[in-house]
Amino acid sequence: MEKIVELRDVTKVIKGRTIIDNISFQVNKGEVFGFLGPNGAGKTTTIRMIVGLMGITSGDITIDGASIRTQFEDAVRHVGAIVENPEMYKFLTGYQNLVHYARMIKGITKEKIAETVELVGLTDRINDKVKTYSLGMRQRLGLAQCLLHDPQVLILDEPTNGLDPAGIREIRDYVRLLAREKNMAVIVSSHLLSEMEMMCDRIGIIQNGKLIDVQLVQEFVQSTESTYELEVVPSDKALALIQTNYPNIRATRSRNGISLEVSKEEIPPLVKILVNEDIQVFGIKEVAKTLEDRFLEVTKEKEAATHA
Amino acid sequence: MLNLIKNEWMKIFKRPGTYVMMAILIAITIIVGIFFKYQDTNSKAAVDKKWEQTLQQENDALKKQMDQSQTKIEKKFYQKEIAINDYRIKHHLNPHEKYNVWSFVKDASELIILAGLFTIIVSAGIVASEFNWGTIKLLLIRPINRTKILTSKYLTVLMFALFMLGILFVFSMVLGAILFGTPENAVPYLNYNNGQVTEQNIVVHLLIYYGLNSIKMIMLVTMAFMISSVFRNSSLAIGLSLFLLFTGDQFTALLSLKFSWAKYILFANTDLMQYFEGTPMVEGMTLTFSILMLLLYFVVFQFFAFFVFKKRDVAA
Repeated sequence: MEKIVELRDVTKVIKGRTIIDNISFQVNKGEVFGFLGPNGAGKTTTIRMIVGLMGITSGDITIDGASIRTQFEDAVRHVGAIVENPEMYKFLTGYQNLVHYARMIKGITKEKIAETVELVGLTDRINDKVKTYSLGMRQRLGLAQCLLHDPQVLILDEPTNGLDPAGIREIRDYVRLLAREKNMAVIVSSHLLSEMEMMCDRIGIIQNGKLIDVQLVQEFVQSTESTYELEVVPSDKALALIQTNYPNIRATRSRNGISLEVSKEEIPPLVKILVNEDIQVFGIKEVAKTLEDRFLEVTKEKEAATHA
Repeated sequence: MLNLIKNEWMKIFKRPGTYVMMAILIAITIIVGIFFKYQDTNSKAAVDKKWEQTLQQENDALKKQMDQSQTKIEKKFYQKEIAINDYRIKHHLNPHEKYNVWSFVKDASELIILAGLFTIIVSAGIVASEFNWGTIKLLLIRPINRTKILTSKYLTVLMFALFMLGILFVFSMVLGAILFGTPENAVPYLNYNNGQVTEQNIVVHLLIYYGLNSIKMIMLVTMAFMISSVFRNSSLAIGLSLFLLFTGDQFTALLSLKFSWAKYILFANTDLMQYFEGTPMVEGMTLTFSILMLLLYFVVFQFFAFFVFKKRDVAA
């Protein structure tokens, strides 16, 4: 795999406060890289530094070998981005907006604009003023704007913010398609784990300006012990039984029965024990962890490691 | 660069506000025109047949005053008046020319302040609005450095200023021709310089007059542009610039009565006409001094605008 974006020891200090602390990672061609973290962790700041909107205090960012600090024009030529919301000129039509951006890069033809409009499915409304667009349409126009010049790197900051489920799905399919078929590197930021799971190949977790971990999505999701909710009657007996048989498992009583933190493989033997003791099992379901839970786990692990 | 200017031009002219400004400028020119026309027809002064005699009398009176006056500046003024009057008598040029299109164009040039007002509004918004709209983020991630983007914006503002002045000049010319008619033979403008009286084509004279009158406007537009770029706040830029546009001259004049350092204030130097006709605001000021001061202010404004814009972390 060929790397296209590289961050080396990037630090950002604003008014004496370290916002971003020594972050390094790489993004390869054809992969979707997820940038995950709670609000205020430094996702947007990092993205702004990658596209040159913010200066870098120390360290460097290169895109296709060109430094964003010293060779801004060469570096940013390969980048298409939406930073936060896709803000367009509302008093212009969608088409005029695209012409505006097309004029800023050499060699974008009318045909290319039409093709891009077709691609994002805005052909019917492209000559309407942007102020009449819905949020989903603005998001699509934003996407068209960053695809005009066939970038090698696509950067989307919270691309699904405020979109309805259909819109979220559309964006997700789109991102996967671009990475696979055009071999683009896509950097996506979000605070929603579920979304990241479906969209990304790799995830970098950022908290308080520090990059805590970079993992493949599969590893990240599978390495977790999930929480399962067991609907069992009588629940008291079941709880006592589990606690005696598996003293290491965290089991608590919940609304409909009991909830357990176990890995998937442990479930069948566990059910067997319950059934053998004549406990009625009505259902077992996996409770998706919120990012917060997962986050606390990851950060706790890190803290434990540093304190040990 | 041309494409960038095209973009800025498009963003100005796709907004209804711009057309409102043009309409107001034209409407006020029409109102002024009708007002002058009304005055003109009401006060049809009897044509002075013996104007040469009148001028001669005036000159005699002026000469007496000149002999009595103490200051050098006053003497100069009288000298100039006398020289021009002599020239008129010699070349049979009636000073009381019938009010015509050129008189109107010259009077309507007072409206340059209005063109200045509108250009300041555009200038104050051209950077600040991009921040307000959030579009600055998409603008600055193109492979074009920030200096070029800001330069294109400034050039666009200058072009807009020229455009507004053009509208005013051409429209007042057309309106003047309709309302007051064109004079049968073009009357030249009389220029006085170092004891010499020269004739100047009236259109050339008016263009120079327009240019000199626009200096203050251009300087304030540049200041609005700087505030817009440094503070990202169009209201502040508009407010401060307009306040100075309307009061700067008076304040400077007041200060110049007491303090000689008033000559370093921008507004003491914006009126270059003072060196051609009339007297400098503060004694000892010269044309070169004023031009240098104007350049200095210009460079300082541009330096701040560009320096801050280039260094800024865009977090809007």
